[in-house]
Amino acid sequence: MSSDPGVHESRHPTLKQYVGIAIFLFVITIVEFVIILPQNFRGAGWTIAPLAILSAIKFAAVIFFYMHLKFDNRLLTWVFLGGLALGFAVVFALVGLFGTYTPSPRAWAQANAEPCLFDHDHGGCVDLAAAQRAAETETPETPAAEDTPPSEPSHTAPAPSGGLAAEGQALFTGRGVCITCHKIEGVEGAVGILGPDLTNVATVAETRQPGVSAEEYLVQSIVEPDAYIVDEYPAALMNATVAGLALTDAEVDALVAFLLEQK
Amino acid sequence: MAHQTAHHTEAGHHAPVAEHVEEHTTTGINHRKLLMWVFLSSDCLFFGSLIATYMVYRGQSLVGPYPVDIIDVPITTISTFVLLCSSFAMVRALAATNEDRQGAIIFWLLTTAFLGAIFIGFQVYEFNLFRAEGLRIDTNLFGSTFFTLTGFHGAHVTLGIVWLLGLAWIAKKGRLGPKTALDVELAGLYWHFVDIVWIVIFTLIYLIGGFDTGPAVDPSLVPHSITGFLGLI
Repeated sequence: MSSDPGVHESRHPTLKQYVGIAIFLFVITIVEFVIILPQNFRGAGWTIAPLAILSAIKFAAVIFFYMHLKFDNRLLTWVFLGGLALGFAVVFALVGLFGTYTPSPRAWAQANAEPCLFDHDHGGCVDLAAAQRAAETETPETPAAEDTPPSEPSHTAPAPSGGLAAEGQALFTGRGVCITCHKIEGVEGAVGILGPDLTNVATVAETRQPGVSAEEYLVQSIVEPDAYIVDEYPAALMNATVAGLALTDAEVDALVAFLLEQK
Repeated sequence: MAHQTAHHTEAGHHAPVAEHVEEHTTTGINHRKLLMWVFLSSDCLFFGSLIATYMVYRGQSLVGPYPVDIIDVPITTISTFVLLCSSFAMVRALAATNEDRQGAIIFWLLTTAFLGAIFIGFQVYEFNLFRAEGLRIDTNLFGSTFFTLTGFHGAHVTLGIVWLLGLAWIAKKGRLGPKTALDVELAGLYWHFVDIVWIVIFTLIYLIGGFDTGPAVDPSLVPHSITGFLGLI
């Protein structure tokens, strides 16, 4: 008899135990919810471990009691845990091979915290903040030279601005996140493909728009990205990014100085 | 007593089922039950792949809406409660079957299916809300991986509901009882499995990943950084 523990011979938990487990599962779910209740706990790195552990406890309670693995033939436990372990292996292997998840920018999130209005032309949300800024500055198609007077003086002497260009490169690869979408050969990390390749941007910018100098064009492309969109690249994307960054005029100058060296 | 008699008569008609239950196997486990556990085990790989895909593309959406814009944790906590309740109703249905309480079998099977339907209702509401807020399966990587994972889970729940309603119909004919309890037990195993998959999805996508934003800017600027799975390893 004991060598043949059929379905009906296996012990089942009593009603009292089932109710106890249900309450236990409820309480854990409430605890999980409470953990992420405070605004500054949400998405914080330290919450991952407790949430994962609580979830694993719930998981175990259900499979061992509700699915009565605890009272069944041990082979069934191994069959299931084997598949589960393989499932975990798949997750860890794929994430290890291809996962590039990096910490998300909270500041950026706050800048984009407006309700999302679907943009039917471009997909995604309409960037309300950027639209508002554009309306405030009221410079629909004016060349950038006019609306960014502070940037003029530094452009008169781009040659000796080695420090400025270095500053620009730091911005390009750092806070400016330009490298997420743009490529520049020889600049580490600058391998993005969503925006135009900027490897020879100083040369290209000279001739992009008739009557607009390379500097003017670059300033315009940073401050007002949608003023001129290179064929086959998405509009609005860079606009939204720049709006969230709130670059100062000095930072724009530095970026332009750096880009002017990319010949 | 009348129930008992009716049940015995029905059981007589279904002698093959009773034979299956008592058949001797090399493993000592009923074949159908072993098959169900092997299937559930393989389903771990199925959902594992979908979860891995979600994790790999986590935080890589270049256009919104991002999880932080639309994920509503309180609402989903309620639907999680509903699914947990349905698991409790399911164990009551199996207990009623083992105890041959005919009315209770039907009641708890229908309750389980009903709670499952409420869960699906929440999901339909959520999907529609997300769509209205601009997230579709082709909007960004978050949309693609989110809808694929939760959609397949919803399909599992829906299949479970159909299964439970079928069992309730069989129970109504008086064909479920201690001798055919395995029929209910197998449906229960499937149902609880769908519940534990949701436990994982809820934790991963809602509690941990529900506040994810767009592409990273600069980690040094982030006061409360979110670390991915890789950070844990």
